[in-house]
Amino acid sequence: MKLLLLIGFAPFFGNPDLGPNGYLVPMERPVAEYREAGLFSCNNGRVAFKSEAPLEVIEAESKHLRGILDAEKQTFAWTVEIQTFEGFNNALQREHFNENYLESRRFPKASFTGKIIETMDFSKEGTYSVRAKGKLNIHGKEQERIIKSQVVVVGNRVQIRTDFRILLADHDIRIPKIVYQKIAEEVQVVVQADLLRN
Amino acid sequence: MAVQTQTPVFQHRDSRELANVSMTQVFQDSRGWLWFGAKNGLYRFDGMGFLLIGLPEGLEVSPVRAIYEWDGLLWVGFANGTIGFIPVNDPFPHTSFDEFLQKKDPVARLTLWNPEEGLPNAPVTAFMADKSGGFWIATYGEGLYCLKDKRLYQFDSADDGLSGNEIYALACDANGQVWAATDAGISICSMPEPGKKRLRRFSVADGLPDEIITALLADAQGNIWVGTQEQGVHHYNVAKRRFDFQTELWSWGAVSSLALYEKSELWVGTLGNGLVRVELSTGIQHPLPASHPLRFVNTEALCKDREGLLWALLDNGAIYSANVRFGLLETPFGNTQALLRDSRNRLWAGSAEGLFLGVSQGAAAKSAGADNWVFKQILTKPENIISLWESPLDGTIWAGTFGKGVYVISPGGKVLKHLSERDGLFNGNVLSIAGNKKQVWLATLGGVSVIDLEAPQRIRNLTRQSELGTGYVYKVFLDSQGRIWFCTDGNGLIVFENGHYRQIKMANDIPLKRIYCITEDNRGHIWFSSDNDGLFSYNGQHYRQYTLENHLHSEAIIGLAADKNGFIVVAYEDGFDLLNPERIDHIIFCDESIGAPHAEINLNALCRDAQGNVWLGARQGIVRLEAFHEVFLDDPQPGITSVSGSSQNIDFLSVHSFAHDQNYFIFNFTGLWYTDPESVRYRYHLDGFDLAWKVSKDPLTSYPKLPPGNYTFRVQTSEHGNFENVPEASWSFVIRKPFWSEWWFVLLSAMTGGAFFYGFIRNREQRLNRVAQLKRDRVESQFVALKSQINPHFLFNSFNTLITTIEENPKVAVEYVEHLSDFYRSIIAYRERDFISLQEELDLVLNYQFLLKKRFEDGLVLINQLDGKTGLIMPLALQMLVENAVKHNVISASKPLRIELFTELNDYVVVRNNIQPKLKPEPSTHFGLQSIINRYALLGERPVLVEDNAAFFTVKIPLKK
Repeated sequence: MKLLLLIGFAPFFGNPDLGPNGYLVPMERPVAEYREAGLFSCNNGRVAFKSEAPLEVIEAESKHLRGILDAEKQTFAWTVEIQTFEGFNNALQREHFNENYLESRRFPKASFTGKIIETMDFSKEGTYSVRAKGKLNIHGKEQERIIKSQVVVVGNRVQIRTDFRILLADHDIRIPKIVYQKIAEEVQVVVQADLLRN
Repeated sequence: MAVQTQTPVFQHRDSRELANVSMTQVFQDSRGWLWFGAKNGLYRFDGMGFLLIGLPEGLEVSPVRAIYEWDGLLWVGFANGTIGFIPVNDPFPHTSFDEFLQKKDPVARLTLWNPEEGLPNAPVTAFMADKSGGFWIATYGEGLYCLKDKRLYQFDSADDGLSGNEIYALACDANGQVWAATDAGISICSMPEPGKKRLRRFSVADGLPDEIITALLADAQGNIWVGTQEQGVHHYNVAKRRFDFQTELWSWGAVSSLALYEKSELWVGTLGNGLVRVELSTGIQHPLPASHPLRFVNTEALCKDREGLLWALLDNGAIYSANVRFGLLETPFGNTQALLRDSRNRLWAGSAEGLFLGVSQGAAAKSAGADNWVFKQILTKPENIISLWESPLDGTIWAGTFGKGVYVISPGGKVLKHLSERDGLFNGNVLSIAGNKKQVWLATLGGVSVIDLEAPQRIRNLTRQSELGTGYVYKVFLDSQGRIWFCTDGNGLIVFENGHYRQIKMANDIPLKRIYCITEDNRGHIWFSSDNDGLFSYNGQHYRQYTLENHLHSEAIIGLAADKNGFIVVAYEDGFDLLNPERIDHIIFCDESIGAPHAEINLNALCRDAQGNVWLGARQGIVRLEAFHEVFLDDPQPGITSVSGSSQNIDFLSVHSFAHDQNYFIFNFTGLWYTDPESVRYRYHLDGFDLAWKVSKDPLTSYPKLPPGNYTFRVQTSEHGNFENVPEASWSFVIRKPFWSEWWFVLLSAMTGGAFFYGFIRNREQRLNRVAQLKRDRVESQFVALKSQINPHFLFNSFNTLITTIEENPKVAVEYVEHLSDFYRSIIAYRERDFISLQEELDLVLNYQFLLKKRFEDGLVLINQLDGKTGLIMPLALQMLVENAVKHNVISASKPLRIELFTELNDYVVVRNNIQPKLKPEPSTHFGLQSIINRYALLGERPVLVEDNAAFFTVKIPLKK
């Protein structure tokens, strides 16, 4: 029972649709459109989270964030498999994270799909600060979010850096009272991803 | 020195029936009701309780996202795209609170709106009516809809170039155009004619500060406040087509809602940073203090009501309200005894711990936890500061101390001078300072010292005897006309005017003794107060006194100030009155019950700032009283909520007339006063019934058994028990008279009765006539019978018969005379009777026959078959018929007259004789037979039958059993 207290947990997950080639497809658009020049994609982005509770700090990271970005339409879709998160303070914590909190068997993925608010030119190199508005789906529960991100365009490459916070309650992730002191109600998420032009 | 912020008192509006209800929207309708949208429906709130208006029957539960009033209806938009409505003046059946709690049933339900074009499938986020009859519906996902001439038109991004289909808010500008806030700026839309779409995009390229516009609010001029996701709030001047105000260096996150106090302040609801107050005169942003429950929260909705209260809904569904005209600045030092807001909007506060200068940091304080006011101590020595004044000449601050004279301080906070008794001041206790650009007057406990600013070393002391007559002066005051007023202890109020000192006396010539406080309002009227005689106003000619009878909270007044709207702030140790000079006797006491901070105010620690707001120094800190530009309601608003009869509710909006037995009325009324609902008192009067007004705390009354008549029920409301010039609600009705006391019924009844009476009289008259006739006939027939019997012929014949008989047969003669006398006796005996027995009549006829027989011998044959027959018959009827037969027929032995008497079916007595008419008929009155016929008719008997043929004359007389 004591081990139970060491539980971990974290964000991200959901089940966005994958196109026939394995890419994530932003909603309701024929796959063919994404073959065009304005398309960027990535399948090894990094997403990390950190829970800072009074009694314990928990950190974990996945290096399997996949994403696709349509420069012309300014739409995007990101997804990560919950099971790919690694780190934690011990193996049991990771198990609790998957089985008890994120229920990764029922909700294997987390996703974020939407559009970029600011009009930006992906053909022009530079650093942009933009807001991404979309639906963040974790633990099967969707929340509309506006997330501020830094976008750097270098040649054929688009680097995305962002950090934001997730309220566990927003995604129906319930933490037993007994481990309240060990898990923060709000976790900090950091994302880094480099997308390449298709 | 710690930084402080100034906060209204936010009150969490909780109630037992809302334990599990999360509010999502708030709206005040045109009648003043507050409506709250929730996840399970709509609630109407009267300040005390929430009444549930259910969703349309059978509809899936979905949170309310928008509430709006248009076209007499309250429109409610839901997250699932449903739209419902309910008439705003719908009189809901009255439900007691406990009843309501038990039932949990809604008192009414919304009606589902069912446009031909179909409802949206996306959340409905806003409604807006434009100025040309269009009704706009914003959705979050399907763009904008416009209802015009009963048709619904859609504006979307694909077909119409709408900035985005996800609309956060709507507003209608001065030109009647509707602004829709989206993720890519604003779309300004209009529909001049049905189907004619006009749309102009307003984006970052056009100067919009942010792509994502999350809130819109039109002000009274039709200019638009624009709330953004990242860039704070900006004000767009529609006529000048440019932004003319913005919140600098906004760091409080996304704006979710706005509430505007015109020209005074803007309240901004944020996501993550709660509520932020923006002072419009300075642009300073005031978030709530870090420890405040509304500091780090997501604001869902804001609403400013008609009383000026601010309502805030949080994303957790909690409701808060605040009377934002009051703010409390908690000071890091103790009791504030003197207060001054200088011409640079800084705050100087004097306490026993010294002099403090407070500077509002506003936008400069960027970090999320920052508060607004930073105080620094000015004097190195902690003096006990009791008075403050700013010189209009050079902006120096004069701080009077208790016992240590006065400090003169530069605007920058450097002590320039210290004047005390050593420098020639009367006394070191400087209670009050006033002056102009030339002179300064110091009120001290020893008298008044005057300092000439051009030669500050010259201090002149007003001597006790000659000028003021006393050494104790509490306050010296310079008014707008340059008069100097001295509030003294002993000689009351003294004014220095045109070079002369004059003591103020009341109309009754009684001088006032002790005057503590004085101020001047914006009409130039002087207000002053004594230690325990209440408040006086002086308009230059007349004085007026305000006492407890005028609803002053207390007569022990310790401070006076006037705000820019002309309201007089009358301070007491436990709160303050707000007196509206325009409305005599309308005084509102401000304490915690109406959302003012708890404050123990100090003597003359009041000041007015350049914006016309009043600040009060208290033990708990500094209270700010904002003088808003807008005029808010300052009375509870009365309304009749329901009227019910003995068993059911009355649709009192449309029914005003009742039957005589519908005479039991229960009136439920309300006095909407969200500021302090508990304080509302009602006064009601039923015109046509009540003799006097009744005052009550309960919002209902009943009238059993009202007599028919015209009535008007009137109810007035007051928050302080004073019912002069307060608003009123009324309802008129009629109880009809019962039909039997209506004029038409009375008339009809009288006519019917008259007709019956007339008929009865007529009937009776006829009957009497008939009786009289009968009597007359009977008398006449008796008379005729008698007459005929004693007519000379009969007598002569009888006597002749007798004469001959006497000689021949005296015995028979005797018998004859006996019969004759029997006959006459019988006639006389029976004359009064209507009927006699048949046998009596037969005796009479036989007597008569005996007499005739002696005369006619065998010429007359009477065949009598009536022996033994019974029945009644009219007296003399048979005799008369026999007589008639004898009279009209020839009688001889050769042709005997045969008279037969018999009965027919025992019903009739028949008299039949053969007809042998005389050659010369006897003169006849024809009375005899006719008399019999008439009498039988009058007595209602069967008719007498007469048959006259060639052989026989037959009369049938009915035999009465």
